[in-house]
Amino acid sequence: MRLILSLLALMSTAPFDLAGATTAQAEVVRVTTDSAAYCGELSQRLSVTPHAEAEPARSLAEEGRRLCDNGYVRTGVAKLRRALRAAMNQAN
Amino acid sequence: MALPPRPVRRVLGSASLRFALLFAVLFLGAGLAFAAVLWWGTAGALDRQTDAAIRADATAMQERWRAGGPAALVDAIETRLAADVENEMLYLLLSADREPLAGNLDDPPPQQDSDIPWFRVPLLRDDEPSEARLYRLDLGDGSRLFVGRDVAEKLRLRTLLTDALAWSATAATLFAGLGAWLLSRALSQRLAPATSTAVAIAAGDLAPRVPLTGREDEFDRLGQTMNAMLDRIATLMSGVRGVSDAIAHDLRTPIARARSKLEEALGSASDEVALRGAIEQGIADLDGITRIFQAVLRIAEVEAGARRAAFAPFDMTPVLEDAADLYLPSAESQGAVLEADIPPNLMLTGDRDLVLQAVANLLDNAVKFTPEGGTIRLVARRGARAVYIEVSDDGPGLSAEDRERAGTRFFRADSARTTPGSGLGLSLVRAVAALHRGDLRLADAHPGDPRPGLLATLRLPA
Repeated sequence: MRLILSLLALMSTAPFDLAGATTAQAEVVRVTTDSAAYCGELSQRLSVTPHAEAEPARSLAEEGRRLCDNGYVRTGVAKLRRALRAAMNQAN
Repeated sequence: MALPPRPVRRVLGSASLRFALLFAVLFLGAGLAFAAVLWWGTAGALDRQTDAAIRADATAMQERWRAGGPAALVDAIETRLAADVENEMLYLLLSADREPLAGNLDDPPPQQDSDIPWFRVPLLRDDEPSEARLYRLDLGDGSRLFVGRDVAEKLRLRTLLTDALAWSATAATLFAGLGAWLLSRALSQRLAPATSTAVAIAAGDLAPRVPLTGREDEFDRLGQTMNAMLDRIATLMSGVRGVSDAIAHDLRTPIARARSKLEEALGSASDEVALRGAIEQGIADLDGITRIFQAVLRIAEVEAGARRAAFAPFDMTPVLEDAADLYLPSAESQGAVLEADIPPNLMLTGDRDLVLQAVANLLDNAVKFTPEGGTIRLVARRGARAVYIEVSDDGPGLSAEDRERAGTRFFRADSARTTPGSGLGLSLVRAVAALHRGDLRLADAHPGDPRPGLLATLRLPA
């Protein structure tokens, strides 16, 4: 079983290795957009985006801000992004 | 090194186990090939798809940089990140002095200067571990852009697939083992009757035969072949016993006769001439016995097929004419007529001397049994694929039962007991016919006649 799992684990890395990737083992890279500050940045961007007050962008943005304020940053960011996309789609 | 115990060695060395292991290996090989194809078509395809998306994104970003410079590129990155509802895009734009200008990564990959521009980097997203796939793009002004994707979802999918394949492989291994065991057991069971029969034969009992299942499969065919072989061996052994008995029986009389004559001469010969005559008679009797032995040995030699190597093409016509010439005086001395009908150019491949001997034996029999005023016919004809030599006489002929047994060594029909002979002539003819892949057929020369005579047809493939 262990042998089979090892083999499959080896197979799982194969596509990347075939592409010639290097693997960084030691240091971890952080994503900076899962933060309350980015919530604010997105809110700021929404405020200057045309059609941001139209539905469904407005309610999505509101919900996003509320989630960010309540500490659900990733979900809040996702809602704000959906609001932005809805506003941009309406503009187009 | 100590050898494993004998039963273990026997199991390890058994053919059925090897077949079973071969089956298991093939089964597992097929399973692994299936898993590899499945992997290449799912997880591999997802990876290739991700790389393609990153490349396309990086190319688009490079175009933006070329068109509007760093400011346009920063704007493009921020716009894309703002609209990234799936939350999987990763960017980091570094200035020429490696200061971050835009993007959502706090640092570049630790080995950012490596020759290969692709990276796999452990990622922390809201303190949750994940993994990023990044591509490095060096822009013309010394700045550097990293474009990538969060591949956590794909990793989860890959883990699920790995687990599924591992369980499948475990199940396949179990089934392969079970199949191998069943196969090994079935092979052993099917071979057991043949093995036990062979053991009984080896122990000296020739009676047992391999039981057949009636399935007409390979094992039944093996059993049939073994049974045919055993039947043949039994027949041959019976033949050997018969020949031994016949030799003992048929030679006892002439030996006893020679002995009694010599004994009688020893006791009653009145002078040297009478004694010399008795000794000469004894020598003649012993020469007769020697001839019988020579005939038996010659038949054995012919049946062994050793003389087939000396086969050569020859014309039968002069051979038959020689035979007719040889027996014409004997026939005439008995008041019989010998008629020959021999067409020219009867080409044949075989042993000329043996064929002549066979024809001579047939003519010898015919002359012996043809009464005064009778006719002996030697007729040859060419068939589609063989030459037929027929010798017929006006003698008493043979009954159907005697015809079946004629050709067996030392066989003599009851009507021929008073005629000189050893009962080996037709045996040699049959052996010569078999050596040439032909045969000897006996029939009545005049069916329905009180003296049907004998028609002996020797068929020799041309």
